[in-house]
Parts: sequence; C-alpha cells; structure tokens
Amino acid sequence: MGSSTIPSTFLKNIAQNGIGRHVCQLQRLTLSLCKSHPSSAAARKFVEDDLLDFTKGNPGIVFYVKPRRHRAPVLTAEFLNGYKEMIDLTRCTKEEIAQWIGLMRGRSGVQIMRIRKDWHTDTPSIQGMWNPFMFKDTKLNVTDKMDKSLSEYISKYKSASQKLIEMKKLQKQQKELEQPLKESTRVIQEKKKAASH
Amino acid sequence: MSRNRVIQWSTMARTWWLFDSKYQCPFRSAEKICMYLEGRHKPLYHPLSDVGDHVVVINTKHVAMAEELWRKHSFDYDTRFAGGKSRTTAWQLHDVDPTKVMHKAVYRAGPKNLLRPTLMRRLHLYPDERVPSEVLENVTDVIRQIMVVPRSLDSYTEEELKNFPILFDWPEDHILYKRPPPGEPAEELTGNTKQQAAKKK
Repeated sequence: MGSSTIPSTFLKNIAQNGIGRHVCQLQRLTLSLCKSHPSSAAARKFVEDDLLDFTKGNPGIVFYVKPRRHRAPVLTAEFLNGYKEMIDLTRCTKEEIAQWIGLMRGRSGVQIMRIRKDWHTDTPSIQGMWNPFMFKDTKLNVTDKMDKSLSEYISKYKSASQKLIEMKKLQKQQKELEQPLKESTRVIQEKKKAASH
Repeated sequence: MSRNRVIQWSTMARTWWLFDSKYQCPFRSAEKICMYLEGRHKPLYHPLSDVGDHVVVINTKHVAMAEELWRKHSFDYDTRFAGGKSRTTAWQLHDVDPTKVMHKAVYRAGPKNLLRPTLMRRLHLYPDERVPSEVLENVTDVIRQIMVVPRSLDSYTEEELKNFPILFDWPEDHILYKRPPPGEPAEELTGNTKQQAAKKK
C-alpha cells in the first residue's frame, strides 16, 4: 500500500487526556472466536487463562466473547469517540493477543494516520506576513535605479592597484608626520648651541 | 484583520528587477537572473506556486566572455533532417542580435519544464542602457553584478594618473610607445629610427 492510500491528516494536539485524571478511552472489546477450529486455538487459550484477570483489572472495559462457528478469530475494539477497529487474530499466540488488547487499552481512539507536516502552530507569523519590500533599504526609494552604486559588485578582496594606492597614501602621511619632528629637533639643537656659546 | 487581505496582495505581487550585464559572464549571470525569474529568492518559494519576478537586463551588448569563448562557444541546432545541422559561434550570434547570447544563456539555466517559456516572457533584454520608460518605471530593485567591471586607462582622470604610485623608473634609453592621436598612423619604431633619434639628441 502506497503512502498516498493511507488516510492523511495534519498534526493536532489531542493529548489532553490525563492532565486531570486519565479516562480510559477504550469502551468495549469483542472477541469473536470458533470453539472448534484450530485457528482460534490461541484465542480460546486466552479466554481460558487470561480473560478473567484482564476483566478484573479493567472494570471500565466491557469484554464480550462471541462464539462464531468456523470463523477466524477477530478482536473488535470500540472507543468512546465512536471509533472502531478490528484486528485479525489468526496465527497470533496467546501472548500476542494480550499485547493487542494492551495496545487498544492505551490508545486515545483517534485513527492512526499519516501526518503531512510534523509541526503545527496556532500563530503562523508574529512578525507579519512577508512582502517584497520587507527589510529593504529605504535608500532605494530615492536613488535612480541606473545608479552604479546599486549594481556594482562588492569584492571581498582589494585589487593590487588599490593596495598600491593605499600604500602610497600611508607613506605620504608618515612623511608629513616626520617633517615637523625634524624641524623641532633642529630648533632644540640651535638653542643648545646658543646656550653653549 | 481586514488589513491582512491587502498585505497578501503585496506578498504575491511580481516585482521588477534591474540587472546591468556590462562586462559580466552571461552564463554565470544567467544563473543569478534565473533565481529571480523563478522566485527562488523569496522565502515563500514553492516549485508548484508561480511566484517569479520580472528581470530587466541592460547592456547585453557588453557581456564578457573569458579567453577564447567568443570564438569557441557555439550554439548548435539540429533539425534531424539530412544537412540540418547548424553551428553558430557566440560572436556570430552576438553580431546578429546583441541580446541573443544572454537570452540563450538564461533559457539554458532555466528549469527544464513547461514553466520555462512563461519565465522567459518575464525576461526583458536591452542591448544598451536605453530602456523604455514604461518598463523602467516598474523597476523597484537592482540585482548586484557578479563580477568586477574592469577600468580602462581612458577612464582614469589626469590627476589619478599623476598620483598613481610609480614602482620603478624606466632606463634612459627605453623608448615608450606613445599612442597616436585618432586618425594618424602609428609611428614605426625600428632600430634605424632609434638611432636617428639618438643622433638628433
């Protein structure tokens, strides 16, 4: 069976059961079995050995045993929400039948379906719906679209000539810084000479 | 909540983008343009929803190809009849229609399905910067170029050339080639003329 033939649904929160007190959602179990046929042997064994223990432990669940001549054993589980599920018990052992019953007892009664999205939110967007002008620079409203500054490629690296020009600029700045220093030292030397004379 | 209905109009609106293809590789820029044509730049993109934008490409006449590609890149077609093969090199196609190389590059970069013809309708190609005003007035944003536009020597101003750092001095007997003014033939620089120039000195 392909995934598209399985009924699908969206994720929704149904796990409120058990917040106050747990209510068993399984209402009714019906085990139909044959008294003589070998395919129902395990079901008969279950009825003989484990059934009374189960009903004593779970007084909220109604358990029917229906003899059906020469039919395969079938377990029918009915839930509080009206959902009904049938399980074929042919070739099941006594332990497996007990496991199926245990599974039905713990279920919420919601049909198991393929979930199309594995997330769900009641508030799809807090910041608001996206639109093409969201987070856009407002400079765009006033600049000419033919302007080169908008279309120009911004490189991560500097070009060789750009580096050279910057180096020259630095050299020039350093020279300008050194010149007044030299002048000041000259003035001090002259003063010293004058003092010695 | 009534405003939400109006916001949705702008969410699904088609915007117009401008791309300057001057000195840009047509094949690499086609990939970028295609992203906008398909709407892959939008956070709400989905392949089944039609959310592509319009792209106006200018200066397709000035697209650049690396190395020998203008001569060696060919656009082939085969009619499947005898002698039906045709091969047009990139420079030939560019000669016939300066927008065609860009068109073919974007067509090739586009999705290989039936959406492609409709996407190509939203591509507006212009060989130079002259774009009809009814097209240009729709443009709201600009796609950045993918490569640095090289500067030619003519584009430098006199002052920039003067201030450009000199790395080394030419030897004194080195003869620099001087570009002749337009219209005049270049001066031949043979050994004889060199000697003559030296004698004159």
